[in-house]
Amino acid sequence: MSSRGGKQKKGNVTSEQEEEEQPLQAVLVADSFNRRFFPISKDQPRALLPLGNVAMIDYTLEFLTSTGVQETFVFCCWMSNKIKDHLLKSKWCRPTSPNVVHIITSDLYRSLGDVLRDVDAKNLVRNDFILVYGDVVSNIDVSQALQEHRHRRKVDKNISVMTMVFKESSPGHKSRCEEDDVIVAMDSKSKRVLHYQKTQGLKKLQFPMNIFQHGSDEFEIRHDLLDCHISICSPQVAELFTDNFDYQTRNDFVRGILVNEEILGNQIHLYVTQDGYGARVSNLQMYDSVSSDMVRRWVYPLTPEANFTDQQGQGCTHSRHNVYRGAEVSLGHGSQMEENVLIGRDTSIGANCHISNSVIGNNCTIGDNVVLDRAHMWNNVHISSNVEIHQSVVCDGAVVKEAVHLNKQCVLAYNVVIGPNLSLPDGTVVSMHHPEEEEEDDDDEFLSDDQEVGHSKDKTRQKAFNPAEVGPEGKGYIWKASMNDTEDEELAQCLWGLVLNPDPESDSESEASEESQDRSRSVSPEIDDVNAFQLEVLGTLQRGLEENIVCDNLVLEINSLKYAYNITLKEVMQILTRVVLEYPFQQQGTQLTTLQYTGSLLPLLKTWSPVFKNYIKRAQDHLDCLSAVEELFLEQDTHQTAMVKVLMKMYQLEILEEEAILKWFSTGATNDKSRQLRKNQGLQKFIQWLKEAEDESSEEGE
Amino acid sequence: MPGADKEADLTERIEAFLADLKRGGCGTGPIRGSGETARETTALLRKVTAQARWSSAGDLMEIIRKEGRRMTAAQPSETTVGNMVLRVLKIIREEYARSRGSSEETDQQESLHKLLTSGGLSEENFRQHFVHLKANVIEAINELLTELDGTTDNIAMQALEHIHSNEVIMTVGRSRTVEAFLKDAARKRKFHVIVAECAPFCQGHEMATNLSKASIETTVIADAAIFAVMSRVNKVIIGTQTVLANGGLRAVNGTHTVALAARHHSTPLIVCAPMFKLSPQFPNEEDTFHKFVSPHEVLPFTEGEILSKVNVHCPVFDYVPPELITLFISNIGGNAPSYIYRLMSELYHPEDHDL
Repeated sequence: MSSRGGKQKKGNVTSEQEEEEQPLQAVLVADSFNRRFFPISKDQPRALLPLGNVAMIDYTLEFLTSTGVQETFVFCCWMSNKIKDHLLKSKWCRPTSPNVVHIITSDLYRSLGDVLRDVDAKNLVRNDFILVYGDVVSNIDVSQALQEHRHRRKVDKNISVMTMVFKESSPGHKSRCEEDDVIVAMDSKSKRVLHYQKTQGLKKLQFPMNIFQHGSDEFEIRHDLLDCHISICSPQVAELFTDNFDYQTRNDFVRGILVNEEILGNQIHLYVTQDGYGARVSNLQMYDSVSSDMVRRWVYPLTPEANFTDQQGQGCTHSRHNVYRGAEVSLGHGSQMEENVLIGRDTSIGANCHISNSVIGNNCTIGDNVVLDRAHMWNNVHISSNVEIHQSVVCDGAVVKEAVHLNKQCVLAYNVVIGPNLSLPDGTVVSMHHPEEEEEDDDDEFLSDDQEVGHSKDKTRQKAFNPAEVGPEGKGYIWKASMNDTEDEELAQCLWGLVLNPDPESDSESEASEESQDRSRSVSPEIDDVNAFQLEVLGTLQRGLEENIVCDNLVLEINSLKYAYNITLKEVMQILTRVVLEYPFQQQGTQLTTLQYTGSLLPLLKTWSPVFKNYIKRAQDHLDCLSAVEELFLEQDTHQTAMVKVLMKMYQLEILEEEAILKWFSTGATNDKSRQLRKNQGLQKFIQWLKEAEDESSEEGE
Repeated sequence: MPGADKEADLTERIEAFLADLKRGGCGTGPIRGSGETARETTALLRKVTAQARWSSAGDLMEIIRKEGRRMTAAQPSETTVGNMVLRVLKIIREEYARSRGSSEETDQQESLHKLLTSGGLSEENFRQHFVHLKANVIEAINELLTELDGTTDNIAMQALEHIHSNEVIMTVGRSRTVEAFLKDAARKRKFHVIVAECAPFCQGHEMATNLSKASIETTVIADAAIFAVMSRVNKVIIGTQTVLANGGLRAVNGTHTVALAARHHSTPLIVCAPMFKLSPQFPNEEDTFHKFVSPHEVLPFTEGEILSKVNVHCPVFDYVPPELITLFISNIGGNAPSYIYRLMSELYHPEDHDL
């Protein structure tokens, strides 16, 4: 029957016989390899955290099974025993399951790269496989993508190694994880990825030119894509990870492939879907939005009432306004479940409560007059009366005493007790684990959990709780958001992702973004650099004037500045012109009359003419210089009459040639203002004089 | 151990069927027609009858009930599954009664007279063992399967009695039964069909394409135009997902609109529904009655920021009260809505109504 199900789903994939021979495989990585969910994930691995009262890994497995995967390898590391126990109890390990689940555990996995190297070493995959994390929630039908992937591999002799699945969603969508924001350049026809870069809040992005130069004539650069973290890989992917032992993440891999595309000849493709839903729960912000999407039925048919995990007693009913109720839920007099509420089995709620947009787990008790909005409460939570909770996560076994107020983005980890009569500020994280103990057993963090728990128990007894922080009867320690930035710079404690703590992202730029910034500097310098350069030039000239430095040395100094700030020759000249022309204003204030201005400027021009001559050599340089002059006088429109004198002087000093001036005058006018400028009486006369002089000289020549 | 093997195979098949049911109907209603679901359910129940271990009719009924409960729980909106379970239970009862030699009539009819004369319900225990019971039950289930295979044709055969030349007929969405019905009529008669597109899934488009391929003059209209167009229509012919016990319908969204418009213009409303869609459910069972799917079709996921500010719902079904319906056409002929209760008691045993 399993094979029948598979065939039905992707009926027209190649031939059925082939289908039978090669069962579709998947690699599920049930570890995040980061500590984003600390301190929650100290007690429970991320893949087992409940989302809508179902462990996240169950969503991933259901997604894989429904797309026709027949063999799944689950790799776990952190708290692997718990994951194993969970899976062995679940329906996935029943003998009738159409999807055979193998659990592979090792304490040595430190990254996705390690897992895939192990896949290769153990020779687990024989064919194309699907690679997902254990915290992906999706109902995308990838069979279409799979078909395209296989077709490409058939046609192009295994050049394409990976197809990444993306979902279309415009920027600003709440389910877009800002950390995963990507810019992708792709070939519109072949769907080949040409460039892949995480934006990471950068304002400026840079694309290597060569991606536009070969290949087909249609490109798309897209920012409206949501990375579902689902990729279809060929067996080569595992081999490539083995060959390149520095690949840690999929991001490394994708970049590596794209950079070495010409050498290795491998390509990566893209599959963009409009239907379906796919997102990875990578931080609590995402947890919040994926959970609310699930309750709002975006992930249909993976809805709470479907009970797809097939567990006894997990069923619930769905009624209007997306209110889901499990078995034996009791609701007190006057309590309202407004909308988007999921309540697990055996939970009792007191009188006059207002609950909206919340998920409440099994066996919870909630007192009277409680207000819950966007609260995520897991199992066995006790909430006393008069409590208010907004957009917070309350983990298993936590107790909230009377009149406690949890503001936005609070986290109460396992078994914490809070209150009574306390208000926790925004973003408070409370855990039974003392923050300091983490540093101590930092090294054995990946060891078995028993040991870990033993450690922590000892320590909780040693240290006293601070009643000012957690209330008179409270138990737990406050975790500071910025506590171990230094130690673990990349992920720190920003449980909620960017919204709460935007700094870590910009600080923790991966190599990728740093590189790209460097490159972007080389091509178009930052505005700051230009400004700094201008100031330096001004300083140099000032010193030159005061200390009577020879012009050659000034040139040397400016040249070294040019290299220091990475400025092009053209810009050097423009800045130099500007600095010199502004020099009188700098020295004597902006209130100068035109006469005073020219009076002080002309000697300066004479002094520095060798400097100018050094930079103004080609015909283009003359024009650039003239346009810089023009620009300045357009800004200083009260001194336009001085312009003629400046030009005259520069002509006389042989800084500018008459041909260049004439050419500039006839062609340079681009807008109204500069046209206006050219109508200036003095300028007209000057040009006239120049023309006559030219005629004369040419006559003389004859 | 061939026995254990068989059992494992059976459970595997049931699990796969349940999983299919749960995943079935992403978005546009059931992926396969309910006819197919009915056949699959019946075939599976036949397999259960043949392969499960049971010694008496009581055991078998218990097994079927247990599996039936799981199947209906897997997709509560798919009532066909439950209906088929009830039909099979009824078959077992009948076969058991026949084996015992009592007449079927007295066994199932609950007349007022019988209620007065007999002391309470005759408590059957179904514990007697009969050698041929298994073969007989399987035989009867096979008959049921043959009946299921012929339903669409049986309904389509009656088309000429209802559709006359140059009529304007309105339908809504897509129904395989209605499609066959109209195509059958088109072989002899010329008529015009107006199809309401049935947003947001727009199955009406597919329906219109199929009809025009059969060279029927077809017009697609937006749902908003139903009332405006109704004055021109001679007859409304629709399909349904379920026929409820009170003679009402649970049909695709927009059907209620059509029915009300038809009532306003006194246009006859004909429902093509095979007997396996007849469900003992009443419309007041709120929780399982509705089916909400992903709001993707109403407001696409790509919409960005607005999605976090609004609640979007996408219900699939409408309830149509029986007063608005003129006639049901089933595979056993035409019936008025008021007659449904009678058909119900013929098809299902009253004790089985809730599994």
